[in-house]
Amino acid sequence: MIIKPNSSTGFIDALTKKLNIIGLSPLSLSLFILLGLSPGLIQDEYVMHMLVVCLLFGTLAMGFDLSAGFIGVANWGYGALMGLGAYTSALLVVKLGFTPWISIFAGALMAALLGLIIGLLTLRMEGMFAAILAWFVGLVLMALCAALVPLTRGALGLNVPLFFDTGWAKQYAYVMFFICLATFIVLRLITKSNLGLAFNALGQDVEAARTSGVNPMKYKVINFTISCFIAGLCGGFYAHFIGILTPDIMSTKKTVEILVIAYIGGRGSIWGPLLAAFMIIPAFEYLNFLMEYKFVIYGVLLIAVMIFYPSGISGLWNSLISLITNKLSRKEKV
Amino acid sequence: MDSAVVSDILIGGVLRGGMYVLMAMGLSLVFGVMKIPNFAHGEFYMIGAYLCYFSVAVWGLPAPVAIIVAALGAFMIGAIIERITFYPLRKRSQGNWILNSFLVTAGLSFVLQNLAQGWLGVTFRGVPQLWGGTLAIGGMHISMDRVMAFGIAMSTVTVFWLFLKKTKTGSAIRAVSEHETGAKLMGINLNTIHTLTFALSCMLAAIAGAALLSIIPASPFMGLQPLYKSWFVVILVGLGNIEAVIIGGFMVGIIEMVASYNFGAGFQDVISLSIIILVLLFKPSGLFGKKLKV
Repeated sequence: MIIKPNSSTGFIDALTKKLNIIGLSPLSLSLFILLGLSPGLIQDEYVMHMLVVCLLFGTLAMGFDLSAGFIGVANWGYGALMGLGAYTSALLVVKLGFTPWISIFAGALMAALLGLIIGLLTLRMEGMFAAILAWFVGLVLMALCAALVPLTRGALGLNVPLFFDTGWAKQYAYVMFFICLATFIVLRLITKSNLGLAFNALGQDVEAARTSGVNPMKYKVINFTISCFIAGLCGGFYAHFIGILTPDIMSTKKTVEILVIAYIGGRGSIWGPLLAAFMIIPAFEYLNFLMEYKFVIYGVLLIAVMIFYPSGISGLWNSLISLITNKLSRKEKV
Repeated sequence: MDSAVVSDILIGGVLRGGMYVLMAMGLSLVFGVMKIPNFAHGEFYMIGAYLCYFSVAVWGLPAPVAIIVAALGAFMIGAIIERITFYPLRKRSQGNWILNSFLVTAGLSFVLQNLAQGWLGVTFRGVPQLWGGTLAIGGMHISMDRVMAFGIAMSTVTVFWLFLKKTKTGSAIRAVSEHETGAKLMGINLNTIHTLTFALSCMLAAIAGAALLSIIPASPFMGLQPLYKSWFVVILVGLGNIEAVIIGGFMVGIIEMVASYNFGAGFQDVISLSIIILVLLFKPSGLFGKKLKV
């Protein structure tokens, strides 16, 4: 049976193709438009603040997913790299008088540089080594931040100038939305390009990829560095959004929070972690009264997802789509 | 450095190293046999410390019994955890085992830490002394608690070593670490061996936590330090290399004492990190990688 293309599907097809070039689909585009408009619609400051935090953690989780989902490296020092970006940016502003708009990129570059070094040292081996070295480096960084009191004020907290004169979250929501959208598009483009093909191949079978002419070291290091860059960038934003930094930002706890979001979202999809951030962060905000038990639920969720549904939300969506298309094609045959 | 300082550093390093050996051995065992990079190992150290605290301070048991309670308790908790997490994970695993199991242990560590904090609070729970008294070696007075902790660590390691080498079950564990399919073909029940291995590893960590209770009081996040030290030992000597951990543990103990003597206590982690980086650069398989495999 031939389906006659009518004008509307033709338009949608054309649009889909155009959007594909910049890594979006009609669905994700409309969701992003909705998201971009939402700061104008939200009246409540609390909700607005939550929106910024969701966007921030969604972006962090996307960056995490790039190495966790594609080359199988669960960066155990991700929180520390984010903290490095935050501290670098904050110190540049506080000590050298930079504007935050430039210094957050300096922070991101710093995190990327450290990621590059860690990657060069460890990515020849099993992904676990990169995870562990990043963790060690993170612990040392955290200890240094706590110890270098004259520079960072240690646990007292470093006061950081904000992006804007006001502390109201609305403007920050636009900034973070822009960072999030840019990250999403860049990551989608990367993962759809030849680079992404190489990442995927490496994630599945390093030896097979090597035989097909993919240089594992090169692509893994590129991947890891980009992921660390995103961590640093988000860290810089965090510093100038929250306004105070303590070494606590580098703790493993932060990494686990991001990791839980990334894995529940589904590895290797980029959009899954972003979506998951919007589900998990409000839910856990609501569960704040549980105190420590909130984190117990975090841990249990992580364990349950790993055991029972390692492909996460994006896996669920993909299997749903394939179920529907299977049903449809069967109907057509009949 | 005069001889007093040298002996000071040596004794301090050996005492410290003994505990690292005990911790790292369990970690290495679990990686060697089950291929799980265990990030919840420190939490079993914590469980051991808490069990010992409750045995001594609350239930009024004598110290040796308290340590046995801690060991058995952690063994049981470890076995239960293995059954409800790694067992189903293994059944359902479709590749990527190391990464997935690593994340499960990360979740476990999160759960155990926060359960402890929620349930018992952040207060430090310690006892002033487990054994009491001091021991004089050469002109140095060392508290009996340290000596006993070292003695317990060494005897546990020895007993465990004999268990691995001399008993049938120990041989089965070694066989599984060599070649899983081969071991299965020889009629070894993999599920039992895996549960047993994990439980034993938890037990070793708990003994370390319990024996050190009077020196390091129990608290929810106490596991981080020993976890990271034992990973340091394991990476230094090579993953899954159980014998070399004994040398590695003492090496790390002495390195740390030298570092803190020369550069101050704050820098011992920086020194440790630099050494790890050097090892990863020049001999990523570890100092004794593959040579001495159990």
